[in-house]
Amino acid sequence: MTLVQLERGRGDPRRTATLEEGMNFAAVLADSRGEGQVLPSPPEWTEPPADLAEKCRRALYEVSDPEFLISLVDLGLIYGISAHERSGEVAVRLTFTATACPCTDFIKWDIRERLLELPEVSEVKVEEVWDPPWTTSRISDRGREILQDAGIAIIG
Amino acid sequence: MTEGRKGYAKPADLPDDVRDHLGSLLIVLADNKRLLGMRYSDWLLGAPALEAGIACSAMAQDEWGHGRILYAMLRDFGYEANQLEHEREASEYRAMELLDAPAGEWPDLLALNLLLDTALSVQFEAMAESRFEPVHYKVSKLLDEERFHFEHGRGWVTRLGGTDAGREALRRSFRPVWEACLRWFGPDGDEAGRALYEAGITDRDAAGLRARWLERVGPVVELARLELAELDGGGSGVWLSRVEPSWDGWDPDVRRAARGGPDAEMLARVRGDKNRPLLMD
Repeated sequence: MTLVQLERGRGDPRRTATLEEGMNFAAVLADSRGEGQVLPSPPEWTEPPADLAEKCRRALYEVSDPEFLISLVDLGLIYGISAHERSGEVAVRLTFTATACPCTDFIKWDIRERLLELPEVSEVKVEEVWDPPWTTSRISDRGREILQDAGIAIIG
Repeated sequence: MTEGRKGYAKPADLPDDVRDHLGSLLIVLADNKRLLGMRYSDWLLGAPALEAGIACSAMAQDEWGHGRILYAMLRDFGYEANQLEHEREASEYRAMELLDAPAGEWPDLLALNLLLDTALSVQFEAMAESRFEPVHYKVSKLLDEERFHFEHGRGWVTRLGGTDAGREALRRSFRPVWEACLRWFGPDGDEAGRALYEAGITDRDAAGLRARWLERVGPVVELARLELAELDGGGSGVWLSRVEPSWDGWDPDVRRAARGGPDAEMLARVRGDKNRPLLMD
């Protein structure tokens, strides 16, 4: 049986995934990432974004949480964005709903992919933060409405 | 953070001895979290109630989530996170000796849930205002999640303690765990505990941590009439243990009273041996 090796940098064998040929890893991953999921439209903006950080924040309304049908911004996971206008380097401060969140890598990947679609962005760094702890009180009113329409009531 | 005192942003900023003690403590905590998660996971099915199994599932995941954060922090202490998580031998693990073997009966698991898990939380609580910022900024999330673990343990112990048979089972299971947890904080005057306290990394030394643990678990074991703790008769509000721990074989470096570690099967699961080919960044 042929094996496909996916190198994940630095040539360290521990960082090498070995998969059976025919196993469509990309498809599995894409599915796990929630591609195809219909995310509610982002808010309608009346003003253009004031700066690159704001432009990035707006873009993240198009990145869904893998478990809830709302954006990372509406879920309250984005704790801050800083952006260097000239170099295009962007830093995102991100938290998760739980320390055992099973989707941390997917979420970070989705953020990077979406922001790198912006022509002004050259590099994205995602910093994991836990303070202050996330609670449901961080879900936006818009997020609550969307969840409520989907039959999910948020307490707190 | 401790008001008026400078914070430490990274391990390199710490005095050498404090850095060594803190790095060692974080490994101890990470290993305990990893092994305790395994013990909770043993009860995902087969607990006395379906709800208890679901709770064990959630608690197991929490412990592994906490372990993941702790192992990642150790990178900055010069440890190789992959090696720590995936390549150590059983004897290198620094989890409490109680976690070497599965909890045989449900009351054994409850002893780990109420006593051991709370001991770990007390150690984290002592770092809530730590001058070491990477810990300080993570502790409140961990403790938020741990509140439910304590409530689960307290609920079950109170319930079982209400019957003669349940109380007897709890007494048998709790006694060895009680003694091990008292010991786990280290003897009064423990060098590492004192160094971390004096540097503002923790807000209590070993004796202070043990007293705080007794404050947390004392009222629960007393309510269940397990004869392990009592309130100081002088009206001080201090909880006293009725049991003195033995210090035979105590090794302060690994915070264990006996060398050992998980058995081969458990070691393979803890290290994720079967997943090794799939490890990725």
